[in-house]
Amino acid sequence: MKNVVIAGFARSPFTLARKGALARVRPDEIAGQVVKGLLERTGVDAADIEDVIVGCAFPEGEQGLNVARIIGFLAGVPIGAAATTVNRFCGSSMQAIHQAAGAIQMNAGEVFICAGVENMTRVPMGGFNPMPHPGLYKEYPEAYVSMGITAENVAKKHGISRKEQEEMALESHRRAAKAQADGKFDDEIVAIVDGNQRIDRDGCIRADSTLEGMAGLDPAFDKAGTVTAATSSPLTDGASATLVCSEEYADAHGLKKIARIRSIAVAGCKPDFMGLGPVPATEKALKRAGVKLADIDVIELNEAFAAQALGVLRESGMDFAKTNIDGGAIALGHPMGATGARITGKAAQIMVREGKGLSLATQCIGGGQGIATVMEAC
Amino acid sequence: MAIEKVAVIGSGVMGAAIAAHCANAGCQVVLLDIVPKGAENRNALAEGAVQKLLKTKPAPLTHSRNARRIATGNLDDNLDLLADVDWICEAIIENPDIKQSLYGKLEAVRKDGSIITSNTSTIPLGRLAKGMPDRFQADFAITHFFNPPRYMRLFELVAGPKTRPDAIADLRAFADVRLGKEVVDCKDTPGFIANRIGIYWSWIALSKAIDLGLSVEEADAIVGKPMGIPKTGIFGLADLTGIDLAPHVNASMLALLPADDAFCQAYDAKHPLATTVERMIAEGYTGRKGKGGFYRRVVKDGAKRTEVLDIASGEYRAERKPDLASVKAARKGLRALVEHDDKGGAYAWAVLSHVLSYAASLVGEIADDIVSIDLAMKTGYAWKYGPFEQIDQLGAKWFANRLAAEGRPVPAILKKLGGGRFYKEEGTRALYYALDGSYQDVPRPEGAFLLADYKRGRSPVAGNRSASIWDIGDGVACLEIHTKMNSIDPDVVAMLKTASKIDKQGFKALVIHTDADNFSVGANVGIAIFAANAAMWPLIEGSISEGQSTMLALKYAKFPVVAAPAGMALGGGCEICLHADAVQAHVESYMGLVEVGVGLLPGWGGCKELISRALANPKRPGGTMPAISTVFEAIATAKVATSAEEARDLLILRPSDRVTMNRKRVLADAKARALELAANYAPPEPVDIALPGPTGQAALSMAVEGLVHQGKATAYDGVVSGEVARVITGGDTDITETISEKALMKLERDSFMTLIRNTQTLDRIEHMLTTGKPLRN
Repeated sequence: MKNVVIAGFARSPFTLARKGALARVRPDEIAGQVVKGLLERTGVDAADIEDVIVGCAFPEGEQGLNVARIIGFLAGVPIGAAATTVNRFCGSSMQAIHQAAGAIQMNAGEVFICAGVENMTRVPMGGFNPMPHPGLYKEYPEAYVSMGITAENVAKKHGISRKEQEEMALESHRRAAKAQADGKFDDEIVAIVDGNQRIDRDGCIRADSTLEGMAGLDPAFDKAGTVTAATSSPLTDGASATLVCSEEYADAHGLKKIARIRSIAVAGCKPDFMGLGPVPATEKALKRAGVKLADIDVIELNEAFAAQALGVLRESGMDFAKTNIDGGAIALGHPMGATGARITGKAAQIMVREGKGLSLATQCIGGGQGIATVMEAC
Repeated sequence: MAIEKVAVIGSGVMGAAIAAHCANAGCQVVLLDIVPKGAENRNALAEGAVQKLLKTKPAPLTHSRNARRIATGNLDDNLDLLADVDWICEAIIENPDIKQSLYGKLEAVRKDGSIITSNTSTIPLGRLAKGMPDRFQADFAITHFFNPPRYMRLFELVAGPKTRPDAIADLRAFADVRLGKEVVDCKDTPGFIANRIGIYWSWIALSKAIDLGLSVEEADAIVGKPMGIPKTGIFGLADLTGIDLAPHVNASMLALLPADDAFCQAYDAKHPLATTVERMIAEGYTGRKGKGGFYRRVVKDGAKRTEVLDIASGEYRAERKPDLASVKAARKGLRALVEHDDKGGAYAWAVLSHVLSYAASLVGEIADDIVSIDLAMKTGYAWKYGPFEQIDQLGAKWFANRLAAEGRPVPAILKKLGGGRFYKEEGTRALYYALDGSYQDVPRPEGAFLLADYKRGRSPVAGNRSASIWDIGDGVACLEIHTKMNSIDPDVVAMLKTASKIDKQGFKALVIHTDADNFSVGANVGIAIFAANAAMWPLIEGSISEGQSTMLALKYAKFPVVAAPAGMALGGGCEICLHADAVQAHVESYMGLVEVGVGLLPGWGGCKELISRALANPKRPGGTMPAISTVFEAIATAKVATSAEEARDLLILRPSDRVTMNRKRVLADAKARALELAANYAPPEPVDIALPGPTGQAALSMAVEGLVHQGKATAYDGVVSGEVARVITGGDTDITETISEKALMKLERDSFMTLIRNTQTLDRIEHMLTTGKPLRN
């Protein structure tokens, strides 16, 4: 079977929904510019692209009409390439990578753009027309449980205190602020041009965050709970993209390989504990890669909520010192459809930068799922 | 030349708020201020002022988007923005030399025929115009707004000897029709009308309280509701306007008034009032904007409480509820108050005898007639009654006699009046006592009228104890509600039903309007709870049915119905407006469906009308849920629009509905609208709509569940809003079906009955009736 490699990673800055600089930029435009940037940086021959696969959690409105195709047009991808939009909520753009990997190994294409996008300002979480199944809602309301409540559930199950959550959030901001100051995001960010404005800096990171400040907030989802706005990932606008191709193609065309995909997995879990989805998904992926968690040097675990991420660390035994070393979604933001490609690209990039051998990217998914990717250095 | 484009120079509190109100009127406005020293942003002052407008409460803007009509700039770089401005209103520092130097600059850039006015509070026009070129003097006047300009209706207008009469006419028309102000012509004397009397009143009311040994709370209990003054009273008012303002205002009046003026005679710089105020300012007690004033809020043992300044000791102490028999006596009238023998009565007499005499002595000097003076005090200082109306209440002769008995001077106009009254009615006419001793018609601005003008000396076409129908001419009838707070009881509903057939009596249109402060606060829930406590369910359901059929009768009447709200139009009052063919709203209309506050939902077609409008709204995004969510939020959170403009956002007003700025023109505009619609009138066709049914209800329930979890809604809020959700999503319907207006009203009725049988709803109603506040159970 063919080897599959990640041969490029780029993303837009991530900025706060409504207040941030990207709020006024259409999601297809943001993603279009990111994909264009990725093509230029990797130097790939766009004529070879088989498919543009774009993850999006709420593919409607400006993110509708098979937004992947629109993004392809905007980015100047030749019309001979196809395009599909995929939805696995927060795991959408990691799913995009998995689909490309599967296609390559099926011998159904050599080069894929695997991107993700979410402008949470312009397409609300839940969509414009939420229409749950009334019968299911009555019989099994967990199917539609709110994400904040799932974080409360994980906190309760694992006895995670509010203080612990706040310490994790503070650390996430500290790491992200340091990485930003050290220029560690410079290579991955594609500046977004909107009229006369050039948006080139992440907007969610709070370098001045303090435990005292966080302690003063009211619980965000349950008045008797422990999860606050400070310990949740913020609503965010942004896009990300990776170039996924067969190793043979990369070698033949002189592309810079970042990481080789060793294994992939998805798994379901109870929807009211959706935050723990990475645990079974990781277990499956590690088993398929034939490695143990202890062998993994670099972990990107999406921080939907501090309580959720702490719950995963506790249940799976992941080491926080190896996890999200450039900061996680609590600090950087979580534009749902864009996160999967970001953390996969990020895990690969850190592995190269730090000279490590094995990395894992994993995240939880609303409705009760997890998704995971294990990669190795090329 | 009609005024369309306005500039305001000076972006302080008044300047910015005047600019805001001109923007409320739909004008393009230029707001300029100086360049602050060393500022990076040369427009910082004006820009900052507009930002502040958006945060100020009560809101100076009737809609936040009006701020976009205000262009900002500075006086060094942007004078060219004034070139096409029709009216430049100056609202800078009260210094005649600085003002004149600014006028010189404005002369160079403004177009011919444009008008310049000053918003000065005290400086006479003569001083500001002195030595200025003729072109300036011809175009110059004083236009004095009161703070806050959106809400205070007084607009004092002072013309100079050289001012063009057509410039005054333009200002008058603009202020009246566009800004909705009560335009009062003043003579060019210090403080014009309202401040001349108001500053004296303030000094007298504060100083006499100290002289007569009344505490701050006692004084405010007298100079408050008993005297027709807002409940802040006199010390509370000082805290509100700023303690530090008083010395400036007093000094300015002392400098401008002759030494024998009663104010100069009464003022004493060594009075404990003056020394107390001086000390308070020095210590930062400048009122509500500072550390506090005569009252202050403190946190003691974790609880907030109010403390009051004891003027004698200079220390703050806990607030005490005043206990004065005279306050109770005042319910019988002003005379009973001043004749009461406790210190409250003595104090009231001290204040009134001075202030009313002063006002009476100024007729002819500050204004040509008593009506202007009364109007100025009512609309500029929010007095319920003007000085001359108060003298009528006391009895003019009695008042003059008591002054004489105390050896005090009796103003000439009082002597001349003898045993008469300042105001009287003769047949259909309202008359006032003019300076020449004759009685003249109380003037109204051209085209403006009140319902009272049609009622005077006439009988209603139909009526009961709660509502009446009047003939307001030209074939138009007017239904008036006249219950307490204009709440709606079965008699009001019966009269609405009668009005829905008024064409049979030869009328071609109906207006629903009242002169009262509020259009209607909604259904009288006191009756509902009485019936509920006696388990008279069929009676309640019958009243809901009757209300619904009445609303439909109004909506489908063979003639146009125009609702003309002002003030509160809540619950059932709002539902009346929703069923009218057109609404002609006063800009200060506060409309909303607030039933959930008492654990109910709109049962007279309010849910039905709003959801039908939301679905028909061409601006909404696709799918039914955005429309449903908007309506759900409005009803389930009892949203009340804080202006007619905001009511448009809630869909309570349609694009075709119109807004009147001047309270006294609402009825005239409504009548004109009714006549306009009466030509070629056809009743509306019933609209069938498609709703998602249980699917939509599940979506709303999910949202509510989140709010209950977050503690933003109570469990019972969840129950009440669950019923709202059921109604506005169409009950058990499906998106492929249409649902009729009547079916929606049946849903309203069923849900209403479910809720009113719940004891938690009854607890809410009970609480509202006893405390006036919603219960969060």
